[in-house]
Amino acid sequence: MNNEPDLKKIERRAYMSYHQDGLLDIFAGVYILGFGLGIFMDIIWEFGFGAIMPAILIATVLPIWIVAKRKITMPRIGFVNFGLRGANKITAVFIGMMVAGLAAFFAFTFATSQSGLRQWLDLIVQNGMLIVGFGTLAVCILFGYSMGLKRLYAYGLLALIVLVIGHFVGIFFAYIIMALGTTVMVAGFALLIVFVKNFPLKGEKAIAE
Amino acid sequence: MAQLYVVQSADFLFLLQQTQMTPGNLSAHLSKLEDAGYVEVTKEFIERKPHTALALTKKGRVAFKEYRRKVKQFVEKLPE
Repeated sequence: MNNEPDLKKIERRAYMSYHQDGLLDIFAGVYILGFGLGIFMDIIWEFGFGAIMPAILIATVLPIWIVAKRKITMPRIGFVNFGLRGANKITAVFIGMMVAGLAAFFAFTFATSQSGLRQWLDLIVQNGMLIVGFGTLAVCILFGYSMGLKRLYAYGLLALIVLVIGHFVGIFFAYIIMALGTTVMVAGFALLIVFVKNFPLKGEKAIAE
Repeated sequence: MAQLYVVQSADFLFLLQQTQMTPGNLSAHLSKLEDAGYVEVTKEFIERKPHTALALTKKGRVAFKEYRRKVKQFVEKLPE
């Protein structure tokens, strides 16, 4: 018998309940879809658009996400401030990934410029889909673990499978990205419908504060 | 208290969903914790709607830590 409360479990349940509304999936799906459309329309490679496109997408998607959280999630499950502990965890993952990515980029650039490792660059370009697939899986595992959202593992696995198939069958990269974005977005909408059904709006009188 | 310990602050509705208690029961618990100085209640307006935020005070956090320590100690002392 142990009466000690499992704080990790309580914290995870509180965190997960706040992200079971599917909004994260919807907006991540829109983001991926936008990226795929950018590649499809061949605008992502031109005029530095590829560099500013993520910023444009974040600037448009983030305010809508905040409003949706306020209008859909908070009236149903309430408001919670996780403080710095939760934010720190995600920030640490972000910074770790950025540092690792930059280090890999510089190491690779240095290696290719120093010794005729040009064939490595060609190899990477030729196997781009496989690299993106494994990279996506790694990112999904990292975020899924740090945020306690197990469905991210499924998204990562799905991305890997689709990209590996795309690589060997020879499907256009943009189609795969758009299909992935659409799948994540649809899954998000399904989660949102379930969330709205499970947590109907209660009248103010029903909850006597 | 465990629910409030893992977050910085939460409102009544969130605690209601997480604890699965009835509003009256939760309200009674919170009143007692507030009287003991363990919980701080902040009333504010968000988008012109009244909003009640609840957070553990420093005293509440210390008391909860002490409670956990004592429970752990008690359980460890129990025979196998």
